Amino acid sequence: MAGVANTWGYGAMTNSMNDIRHSKLVFMLGSNAAEAHPVALQHILYAKEVNNAPIIVVDPRFTKLAAKATDYVRIRPGTDTAFVMGLVNEIVSNGWHDKDFIQKRVAGFPEMVEVAKHYTPEVVEDITGIPASEVKRIARLLAIHRPGTVVWCMGATQHSIGSSNTRALCILQLVLGNMGVSGGGTNIFRGHDNVQGATDMCVLSHSLPAYYGIKDGSWKHWCRVWDVDYEWMKSRFHSKEYMNKKGFTLARWYQGVIQEDKISQYTPIKAVVFWGCASNSQSQYHKLKKALDKLDLVVIIDPFPTMTAAACEKDNVYLLPSSSQYESEGSVTSSSRQFQWRFKVVDPVHDSKEDYWIMDQMVKRFGFHDKFYKNIKKIPDDITRELCKGSLTIGYNGALPERIKKHTLHWETFDVDTLQAKGGPCDGEYYGLPWPCWTETHPGTPILYDISKPVAKGGLPFRARFGTEHTYWNGRKENLLAAPGVYNPGSEVKGGYPEFKDIVPGTNWKTDLSQKTIKVAISKGMAPFGNARARCVCWNFPDQVPVHREPIHSPRPDLIAKYPTYPDKKDHYRVYTKFKSEQKPELVKKFPYVLITGRMVEHMGGGAETRSNKYLAELAPHMYAEISTRLANNLGIRDGEMMWIESPEQGKVKVMAKVTDRVDDKTIFMPYHFGGMFMGQDLSGNYPDGCRPYAIGEPANIVTNYGYDIITQIQGTKEGLCKVEKA
Amino acid sequence: MARMKFLCDIERCIDCKGCVVACKEGNGVPVGINRRRVITINQGKPGEKSVSIACMHCSDAPCIAVCPVNAIYQRDDGIVLVNKDVCIGCGYCFIACPFGVPQFPKGDTFGKRGVMDKCTFCAGGPAPNFSEKERRLYGQNRIAEGKVPLCAAMCSTKALLAGDGDVISRIFQERVARRGSGTKAPGWSTAY
Repeated sequence: MAGVANTWGYGAMTNSMNDIRHSKLVFMLGSNAAEAHPVALQHILYAKEVNNAPIIVVDPRFTKLAAKATDYVRIRPGTDTAFVMGLVNEIVSNGWHDKDFIQKRVAGFPEMVEVAKHYTPEVVEDITGIPASEVKRIARLLAIHRPGTVVWCMGATQHSIGSSNTRALCILQLVLGNMGVSGGGTNIFRGHDNVQGATDMCVLSHSLPAYYGIKDGSWKHWCRVWDVDYEWMKSRFHSKEYMNKKGFTLARWYQGVIQEDKISQYTPIKAVVFWGCASNSQSQYHKLKKALDKLDLVVIIDPFPTMTAAACEKDNVYLLPSSSQYESEGSVTSSSRQFQWRFKVVDPVHDSKEDYWIMDQMVKRFGFHDKFYKNIKKIPDDITRELCKGSLTIGYNGALPERIKKHTLHWETFDVDTLQAKGGPCDGEYYGLPWPCWTETHPGTPILYDISKPVAKGGLPFRARFGTEHTYWNGRKENLLAAPGVYNPGSEVKGGYPEFKDIVPGTNWKTDLSQKTIKVAISKGMAPFGNARARCVCWNFPDQVPVHREPIHSPRPDLIAKYPTYPDKKDHYRVYTKFKSEQKPELVKKFPYVLITGRMVEHMGGGAETRSNKYLAELAPHMYAEISTRLANNLGIRDGEMMWIESPEQGKVKVMAKVTDRVDDKTIFMPYHFGGMFMGQDLSGNYPDGCRPYAIGEPANIVTNYGYDIITQIQGTKEGLCKVEKA
Repeated sequence: MARMKFLCDIERCIDCKGCVVACKEGNGVPVGINRRRVITINQGKPGEKSVSIACMHCSDAPCIAVCPVNAIYQRDDGIVLVNKDVCIGCGYCFIACPFGVPQFPKGDTFGKRGVMDKCTFCAGGPAPNFSEKERRLYGQNRIAEGKVPLCAAMCSTKALLAGDGDVISRIFQERVARRGSGTKAPGWSTAY
């Protein structure tokens, strides 16, 4: 998401799942939507059937999605940037790029082309394993079928160059002129119904809610929203430095406990709370387990005892049974930036309690109950009201709880193709008020950066977020605002303009809580965040233009020499993170196979919930690893036999072999949903009585490798190495 | 009178098994009994296809023909049902059925089979509509409520169609007519 936000302003799906019905082509990279997003397939198959849209699936594995593709492209894991930049190069060198769009709405194009030139079809073939003729053919398909949409998921992001992969895909869409149009866009499928909501609330360590960052100004903004004193807030922290310092990430927090890599924090971590989070989805899980056994306190808040509960072998664990989505109520934000209201179906069963109740009890005991609930009289409506009031950056402010409920209750009045209500109480509005929803009467923004509609009716230009001018490395200076003639209908300024500020002195559109600035902008027909160009060059990233870098653990020593990774990063979210010093060319001799992980349709996330469902457990009872027929025969392993898979970090798992040609001869695939076993040991006894899930198995993440993204520190679980032997 | 039918569109079925789980959860079917399942051929290879299969509610049902106690019967709308009070668990229907539909609970001593269970098209059974007995022995009666079977209602890609045979075959025909036209028509790339 960092890559996307740094291209054109917001890190979110630009169109919607439904809008794929208008696509003339669907390009899916690192996504197995048939298993991870089955309902989205309804729209993708509609495009395939009705628009004759080619469905191009790029994946190391012939997935269930690939089975529905018109064109399947097998790619070597971790080489997506090389392939996509190769497509960009092929498109530009044939003159198939959208010259008018690029001239008016894109920045840094010539500099990007200079870099992309390296990725000729032949070079791409060497790096990715995709034949040069296929690179040419796919580029031609992309050029002919416009507008096409680009879809990606964790297969694109969970790499040491994940943020380059996402930017390369954005550049591809800019070059084709597929942005801001129905049927185009970058449609990034999020993994749950509220992942976008969780991201928007920044359940992350580097920003306060709604992407305000973690600086003095951001704290002051939110303190005003929460109606608490900034000085009091400051007093809660160890020091001012730590108040504004990025924290540990989900991927590497355990290093704060075990400190194998040096940490930059005044104290090791002593306690951890897992609230609806499955620890077995983190890589190098055997190291994470070490941390669990070292911590003073582990709190798990979940409807089911998770793998974390079973993995903790020290007497330091507290399980707080929370409720499921059906036993609680509140607003959620879907992948397509749409708000929905989840109504309660039943009261929590057994001993479980609503999350709100658990939070309330904690806050009381921590002693800041009075400050916590200043604006909250009615739960959960006032929570939504408060967070929307503060989240001006992403235009949550128009999404009042009453409006969200009205949409959810009258969903049948919205058109499946356009998402717009035809008549009824929400007439003219878009379903779920897709953000930014600028005012209490704004209909929502169904397609980001669409300049064919007025801003008040759901249109937007690209966001002005990166200054108004930039000088590139070659000395060329470029105006970053959109060209004259690029504006939304009704705009007072007939071209580019910077963001709105000082309408209320000392504030800008993001910090003016009276929302006057936003209203003034809308009344002038203009976007509060300005009207700029999308960037092909991100000068704040280590690679200004995405380039290929070999995975940290690569099977190609020759390419490590040619495309080495980054230098080590000392203080990467409070922990020393190895890049160059971990990239060892000789590793492949001992660990010859590439290990990738992914989802299966029967289970979800860490699997605590789905493996505890008797029907889902019946359908998918066993943990397994996919191995190709040839490799299995070479290793003397038969279908259904057990085998050991071992990682360079000494993690190992005993899993059942599933012999299949979904994977090629060098690749092993494992689903990551299992838990309850640990390196051959059965942890069944560690679950509370009667709470052992029906299906248990080894967490795949015990053998996922070292390797993290240079910007976001997301774990590189789709590009490690392993060795395999018969058990 | 409407003739009830299932139709699974193999170009749309993605093997998500939503139909299987919906059926089991909604009708309280025990683990080990499958009223519906998804079959995949050519797994992991080009040409991989999946299809969701349950009782086909045959026009001239072989199970009815072989049942020695006349426990199986067909409603006017074509739905084939079993009367669990009459069934003796002989298993003849299982041998006769071309689709392997009839299911029998396992585990009794001397290999005794329990009474047969199969897809009811979510139309309950011979017990009175919406009665506790109907619910326990056969599951929901959605047809009596005017709803389509759970499996089809749940289908994520609308691959599985259920209802009046004329209506669902018209929907399917429209889909097929749209496919394979234009640039994907056979010979297009060579002719133009």
